[in-house]
Amino acid sequence: MLSKLKTNAAAEISSIINDLYCSRSLLSRTVLFAFLLVSACGIVAQAEEGDSYSNSQDFQLHGFISQGIIDVDGSDFVNDSGDLSTELTELGINASYQLTSKFRLAAQIVYLDGGNRYAEGVRVDYALIDWSAFTNEQWQANIYLGRFKNNHWLYSSSRDVPFARPSIILPQSVYFDGFRDIAVGSDGVAAKISHSTDDYGNFDFQISYGSSPVSKEQTQNILSEYAQGMAEQDYDAQASFYWQPAFSSWRFGMSILDAEFTYDSAGINGGDFFYDSDFAFQFYTLNALYEGERWEFSGEIYQQRFTIDGFYAPGFELDNIGQGFYLQSRYKVTQKLTLLARYEDFYIDKDDKDGKELEQNTGIPYYFGFHKDITIGLNYDITSNFSVRAEYHWVNGAGRLTPVVAPNPAINDSEDWGMWALQLMYWF
Amino acid sequence: MSSQVSAIEIVTHPQVTESSLTKSQLRRIYTMRQLRWSNNRTITVFVLPSQHILHQRFAKERLQIFPYQLNRIWHKLTYSGLGVAPIIVKSEQELIQAVLETPGAIGYLSDEMLIRQRDVFIGKESSDMEEMQKVSSKGVVNVVKIKD
Repeated sequence: MLSKLKTNAAAEISSIINDLYCSRSLLSRTVLFAFLLVSACGIVAQAEEGDSYSNSQDFQLHGFISQGIIDVDGSDFVNDSGDLSTELTELGINASYQLTSKFRLAAQIVYLDGGNRYAEGVRVDYALIDWSAFTNEQWQANIYLGRFKNNHWLYSSSRDVPFARPSIILPQSVYFDGFRDIAVGSDGVAAKISHSTDDYGNFDFQISYGSSPVSKEQTQNILSEYAQGMAEQDYDAQASFYWQPAFSSWRFGMSILDAEFTYDSAGINGGDFFYDSDFAFQFYTLNALYEGERWEFSGEIYQQRFTIDGFYAPGFELDNIGQGFYLQSRYKVTQKLTLLARYEDFYIDKDDKDGKELEQNTGIPYYFGFHKDITIGLNYDITSNFSVRAEYHWVNGAGRLTPVVAPNPAINDSEDWGMWALQLMYWF
Repeated sequence: MSSQVSAIEIVTHPQVTESSLTKSQLRRIYTMRQLRWSNNRTITVFVLPSQHILHQRFAKERLQIFPYQLNRIWHKLTYSGLGVAPIIVKSEQELIQAVLETPGAIGYLSDEMLIRQRDVFIGKESSDMEEMQKVSSKGVVNVVKIKD
């Protein structure tokens, strides 16, 4: 009976995996398959043991369910009609299985529906082998192989975990939903080294190298709705360093990113307006976080460099340096109620902060050159794993709306826009 | 209002050899920065739900970390694939049972609960605590001293 159950589970899982368009990478697919198979056996074995606590030492299963409503007025951030939308669904399930004392398998599958913010559907968020290469009382070194999550920015690893991030919509100049699937992680290898001392505090150093598959829908989201060719990420290399002084409420961090993409045009015969192109993206951040009993402050300051070689015409060149920051504060009124206020300010070209040159040179309206957002919100923890959250955003500028490279001013004809959102979140 | 607030004791599986831990070691264990005991055995960390009053007191008094900070560290590990977070159990009784059954386990209890479990184990007359007797038949948890 048991073995039959396991075989059925394995067959079912294998068909689910084949349906997941995102798991194109052979490496992550293999890891994921092995992992789900092991998890299925783990669940069955555990059910037989009948533990009163649901997670055992070696096998852990967690997940989250959240649903919200969002209403955007003055942009196509969520939908083209501007109507109240229920396209604010985030579901996730993950499992972790300790194979041996040194090796662990972990994977998470998420379903996201955010309207125009990103492609609706199921994704493999991460699927990896974690090798605990070295560990003692003060040091830990881990190597992660497979599809891993970007863990370098302040909220990058929790950006699609509703209750773990600070607001329903994150600062778009860093956590741009249009780039979500590319920025959230990579297929490749990552390493983390942690050191803890009583005198100097905690140090975390991480490095990662890999690439993300880019779907047709994403290509059109990022480049232009008329792009008919295929975009590909050649590589994504990132590193970050965090330091929390001993017994301090402060933590400081920095990160660097270097990525390259190519665009393979479908050609004039393929109905493509655009040409073969190389894109390069570099991103540097500094961040700080203060966690007090009632007050919490955080902020990130960043500079990006984006270059295009081709695309609009063979030999076309663009080299923009963009800059931005956000400052966020949270106040815990009671154990359960937290208020949020945030200011975000971002320019796509630091030498053209008001976007006038952009308009003169390309005809794209000036307000596509920047993005400013004032956000207020609240979070209420109903129980230890059930919360409700609400927020309002006043946005000035269209610099963080998709498509990015060739924007759509016909639908985004307003410099100022706003949105409110309400979200219920449950996790286990 | 009762003037006497019960103390919080740190307990481990009977086979754990450490009889004392420093405050920083305890912090490292609960923030998942120290994953093994000195004999290289894996540490399994048990906690009560984040809104449980004993958990809130444990975080503030014993770890000097706010409960929301612990949640953040654990959520990051659990939902990003980076690592494993402590296992959450519903009640102090479940916690005793989990610590007794799991080699390498660590957890925390109110001293009242600890005394009750010991009384049952050494056969002192106890009321209607069948559950407790089941637990106690497996032995007594270690109580670990916390040094500054």
